Amino acid sequence: MTIFRRLSFSILRSVLTLILITALLYATVMLTPPETLASLYMPERTSPRMTEEMYEALLQNMIEKYHLNDPFPVQYVAWAGNLLRGNWGYSPNLQENVFTGLMRRAPATLELTFYAILLYFPLGLLSGVMAGTKKSGFADRFFRAIAFIATSLTPMILAILILVVFYITMRWFAPGRLGTAFAPMIEADGYKAYTGFLTIDGLLNKNPALSLDALRHIAMPALTLAFAQWGILGRITRTAVIEENQKEYIIAGRARGLSEQTLAWRYALGNAAGPVLTHTILSAASLMTSVFIVEIIFNYPGLSTVGVKSLAFIPDAPSAVGFSIYSTVLVLILTTLLDFLKVIFDPRLREES
Amino acid sequence: MGITRKFFSCWQNWIGLFIILVFVLTALFAPLLSPQNADTQDVVQSYSRVPQPPSPEAPLGTLPDQSSVFDALIWGTRNAITFGVGVTAIVFLIGTLIGTIAAFFGGRVNTVMMWIVDGFLAFPIIAGVVLFQQINNNLLVNLLESTEYAGFYSYVVKNPAILNSIKPLFSPFMNMNPTALAFVLLMWMPYARIMNASVLRIKQMEFVSAAKVSGAKKSRVIFRHLIPNAIAPVLVLAAKDVGALVVLQTTFSYIGLGHPTPWASTLLLGKDWIFSPKGIVTYWWVFLPVTLALILFGVGWNLLGDGLINAMNPRTENKQPSSLNFLRKNS
Repeated sequence: MTIFRRLSFSILRSVLTLILITALLYATVMLTPPETLASLYMPERTSPRMTEEMYEALLQNMIEKYHLNDPFPVQYVAWAGNLLRGNWGYSPNLQENVFTGLMRRAPATLELTFYAILLYFPLGLLSGVMAGTKKSGFADRFFRAIAFIATSLTPMILAILILVVFYITMRWFAPGRLGTAFAPMIEADGYKAYTGFLTIDGLLNKNPALSLDALRHIAMPALTLAFAQWGILGRITRTAVIEENQKEYIIAGRARGLSEQTLAWRYALGNAAGPVLTHTILSAASLMTSVFIVEIIFNYPGLSTVGVKSLAFIPDAPSAVGFSIYSTVLVLILTTLLDFLKVIFDPRLREES
Repeated sequence: MGITRKFFSCWQNWIGLFIILVFVLTALFAPLLSPQNADTQDVVQSYSRVPQPPSPEAPLGTLPDQSSVFDALIWGTRNAITFGVGVTAIVFLIGTLIGTIAAFFGGRVNTVMMWIVDGFLAFPIIAGVVLFQQINNNLLVNLLESTEYAGFYSYVVKNPAILNSIKPLFSPFMNMNPTALAFVLLMWMPYARIMNASVLRIKQMEFVSAAKVSGAKKSRVIFRHLIPNAIAPVLVLAAKDVGALVVLQTTFSYIGLGHPTPWASTLLLGKDWIFSPKGIVTYWWVFLPVTLALILFGVGWNLLGDGLINAMNPRTENKQPSSLNFLRKNS
């Protein structure tokens, strides 16, 4: 029961956070003069015979129609209502509704994040424990050197190197999400998007070649993303394990003849999971940032395109705000999930309340 | 052993300090090292479209647009140091103050303030940069500067006289760096959290109660007793952040968010020349100097941060006298 209470509490907190953040976001958007905002609602092409007075009148009309001059609370509530109803505004740069545009691109980003987490989370824990149990041993020195490189060699530099070596010189991998031969396949009639993850959908549609091609496109972005995150997670795990290893219960366990393997993997790691998960929760937002950076550098068509396109020729506020809200929601979901995981892992938190 | 001696007894810390010193000196003496101003970079008079190898005019070769890599390196260092140190200082100040005040009052105040901090933590920084650049564009550039593409918006401006009168008011904001703004607003939370935990621990100690009982003012307790004793972990974070923020700024600039920085522009201009039919090292000067500078900048501050952790952590030294020591593997 307490798990559910804790979970509902953390969901409630996420909702409050969301309200706070969207209110701040909306206030920031209101810094833009209403006329500029209204010009976003203007028809794409105005008649050449339209005089400046007529344009002005139309603009005022739009301000009136969309309540752009109302006080903040009124505007915010109306806007939030629209948001909940799925009206995130039309974006001239995406040429579609912002929400539709976001949802269309979300699976690509989720797929990349999923594979990156799948890579770095187990590996980070593994290497962290291996390095931490034999502090200053060979494995530890080796790990520390590699992890230092991983955290210093920023994703950008790594991505440039990978692009030059594996994409341009070797031609092993390719940018984008699918090759030109496979792109029409996902538009074809028989194709069903079960999960939105191309690598999995290809198998489900009995088209392993499609999966393989998708994998060829996603491998390097996922690896770039995972490398830096692995270094950070491994270092945190190592510190936590070293800290645990100095505690009395480990000594007691060793005195009773428990094997080193049991001590490290069951006891030290089990108790180190708390700080590790806490850190992961805190860095969820920075993980999202790295995902977007990697997407942009590798030209991977995920959510980041919305953010980049909002800065195009004619600046586009709806998609900028939509992008911000959507990525915040993603981070909040990730945080809540991890919070839940933490409670499952740690019996003390379960019993607490 | 004192913290200073412990810090200097480790060779990694000397390397870190040396790297940072080189960068700081380069930033300070940039006008001497490279008399070219950052704005007038066209030094080599040539109509070639190919990066030129190192020559007396351009000690590290040129980029495809015939600007000197050396100049970009030197002026980029100045940019990196000012940006990194400046933004980190502001963020450090905000975070430390908020964390301390929340912990000092404790109870409900602390809970609510930490909620707000957590709320900010959920905001990805890249979304912040996009948003602030957007606001910069919409609010200032498009409205006040009638650039070519703002023609669409120029209908909006009703009265040029009013426009001209408010222009000076906005001009400082027009040059404001959206990246810096986003970092300042969205990077203080780790400081607040760490400071909060640290102050909450120290608040329980006797010397703080003693200060309160002897009638010290709240401000005196905060600034003379709490902050100096709780600041160590935050200082470590600040040392690491100088490097991390600059690396992040360069990355954002490279992918087209925020103002262009010399380092990012060099990488961007040179990236098509990294690989050439003659081999990967033919045009080494278009990417190697700046890449190395960027990596070293991150490494230097990282080493400093790691060194500070080890020097300030009392646990790295203490060997607890115990008859069970043979069971402790790591001591």
